[in-house]
Amino acid sequence: MKVVLKNIGKKYEGREEFTLKNINLEIEEQEFCVILGPSGCGKTTMLRMIAGLNSITEGDLLFNDKRMNKVAPKDRDIAMVFQSYALYPHMTVYENMAFSLTMRKERKSLIDERVQEAAKVLQMEENLYVKPSDISGGQRQRVALGRAMVRNPKVFLMDEPLSNLDAKLREHMRVELIRLHKQLGTTTIYVTHDQTEAMTMASKIVLMDDGIIQQVGKPDDLYMRPKNLFVAAFIGSPSMNIIKGKIEQGRFISDNRLMMITPTKTHKEGLEAFEGKSVSAGIRPERFESGGEYGDTFNVNVDVVEMLGKEKILYGKLDDGKELIISTPGHYKYQGGERYAFGYDLEAIHYFDQETGERIN
Amino acid sequence: MNNSNNGHKKTFLERMGEKFPFFQRKNKNKLYLSDRQPLTLQGKIGLGIAHLVLILWAVIIIWPLYQMVVSAFNGLQDGYLVLNRNFEFSLKHFEYLFNETLYLAWVRNTLFISISTALLTLLFVSFTGYAYSRYRFKGRKSSLMAILLIQTIPVFAGITAFFTMHSILSSIFPYFSRQMMLILIYSGGAIAANTFILKGYIDSISTELDDAAKIDGCSNMQIYRLIIMPVAKPMLMIIGLWSFIGPFMDFLMPRVLLTSPRSYTLAAGLFTLVNDFRTMNQPAFAAGGLLTAIPIVLLFVSLQGQLVSGLSKGSVKG
Ligand SMILES: Nc1ncnc2c1ncn2[C@@H]1O[C@H](COP(=O)(O)OP(=O)(O)OP(=O)(O)O)[C@@H](O)[C@H]1O
Ligand SMILES: [Mg+2]
Repeated sequence: MKVVLKNIGKKYEGREEFTLKNINLEIEEQEFCVILGPSGCGKTTMLRMIAGLNSITEGDLLFNDKRMNKVAPKDRDIAMVFQSYALYPHMTVYENMAFSLTMRKERKSLIDERVQEAAKVLQMEENLYVKPSDISGGQRQRVALGRAMVRNPKVFLMDEPLSNLDAKLREHMRVELIRLHKQLGTTTIYVTHDQTEAMTMASKIVLMDDGIIQQVGKPDDLYMRPKNLFVAAFIGSPSMNIIKGKIEQGRFISDNRLMMITPTKTHKEGLEAFEGKSVSAGIRPERFESGGEYGDTFNVNVDVVEMLGKEKILYGKLDDGKELIISTPGHYKYQGGERYAFGYDLEAIHYFDQETGERIN
Repeated sequence: MNNSNNGHKKTFLERMGEKFPFFQRKNKNKLYLSDRQPLTLQGKIGLGIAHLVLILWAVIIIWPLYQMVVSAFNGLQDGYLVLNRNFEFSLKHFEYLFNETLYLAWVRNTLFISISTALLTLLFVSFTGYAYSRYRFKGRKSSLMAILLIQTIPVFAGITAFFTMHSILSSIFPYFSRQMMLILIYSGGAIAANTFILKGYIDSISTELDDAAKIDGCSNMQIYRLIIMPVAKPMLMIIGLWSFIGPFMDFLMPRVLLTSPRSYTLAAGLFTLVNDFRTMNQPAFAAGGLLTAIPIVLLFVSLQGQLVSGLSKGSVKG
């Protein structure tokens, strides 16, 4: 099912400001849409509005072109997985999964069929008749998924479903969720503040901050072409180096005059309008060129080297103390306490207008 | 204590070990497994004193109970209880209780009042506790405060108001008896006090459970009945038990409010066996008290398992 949010806004009772404002979003059929953003930006609020658990202050929510603003949650044909799983503690796993169908007064045989099917997909057949308190966190997570699955909903809503699991299990469940999505093909809206989850799972990422959508796009788009400074700094780990500077005679000069970058031809066109104005340049850690000798180079004093195996992360400072993070392949030789020269991959430099934070090139 | 002035201070256990080798060996072989620090001498003396006090206290409580039980079965007791009499097993006091007094009527009255009070309390507390926990409405805070403050006024202070209320109500509903008034008074007090307790308990149940139920298709009533109530069952059981026992224990209100011995509750009825020389029969009083205690004790014992297991299984977190 296609989910469309048109100009949606939310203001909580007793709050001065709108929590969400002017949300315009289209989520296509079968899409795995991840809503990403820092804590408190309104992700849960948005999800709960789609679920019908929170009222919509303004705008329209459309499911397949049908306005759903006033429809009760149970009639929206959605299922939701909660952060705390919200399993009913007094019911067995089976009863938990069967509950929504029981409430709809479905036939016993049909309920049993659906529950067994879900249990099989999730490999929970052995634990069907125990209480949620007697199974592990990962299994509870699966019961919560199963409870959502048996309803055969048109939309899956998930609010940070993996945040309570340990790192290993989270990785495992991430893959399982993607597999499940491939298998069922249900439109999924997934909320998280973990960018790794977003980058690995999403077919579309909605990055939010401060109640406003900052950028919508494929994981690639957000990483390669961040629309503004917020997106640039939020996506990627370790995060992008942002250098403040000015455009002087068509070249980017950092404020401390230690870094100079000659833009490529294609970038130059966009930058012409900013001659003499304040501009920020963004460079991902892995887009520096080791041992820079030709073209634009700069020197950095490396303090700490983190060896991660396939890559080395260098934490360094320019002569005036400005910090930089540089990532190099793991087999390159670098040591803390030394001074090295680096160049830039000029194609990969992002320029942002400092005034508005918007992307220039 | 004669060892303590030869310079080397020894603990009580060491001294015991010298005197009794068997004691020593046992102590050396035994690993100290408690998580607490081993007790010092001072600590041990303190512990001993604490035990002594507790034992004394227990004796003070148990001895009268023991006397009550013994006298209830002692065929040689009559009229006034006399201690240290000879003992001869007999059920004559129980016979007296059933044949010569209105004991069975009192039991019936008490059960009627207790059960009604418990049910009424549970019904109302369910609504108020759930509403105060889950809904935001005007006057929520101030009304909660008011309930709290009203608690501090003793129920007995309202006795004249109760009389007036009863006469007004019974003029409208002729069947409204004094006993029903009593039920209203008991459950009224219990509702106010327990609303707080239940609200606190439901507050600790995640609202995501409500949301999940809403999506699964529950109405507000169903959320309470199918989800919240089962989860809050241990608390509801405790509330029910307390309000059930209340009328068994209270003697003042029925004594003042109820007029004929036929309508008395157990507490008020049994009291007539010890305060009036015409009907004086202290052993029968003891027998009646004993019989009253049995069902309550049984109720507690049978529900105990559920109360404890329920409390620890209240919620499931990830
Ligand atoms: N019931 C409510 N009443 C009033 N304000 C609320 C309510 N729920 C959330 N808010 C406010 O709305 C804002 C967004 O909250 P929301 O829960 O949507 O954030 P979030 O993006 O899900 O954050 P997190 O990642 O921490 O879960 C917050 O500032 C919060 O204080
Ligand atoms: Mg949230």
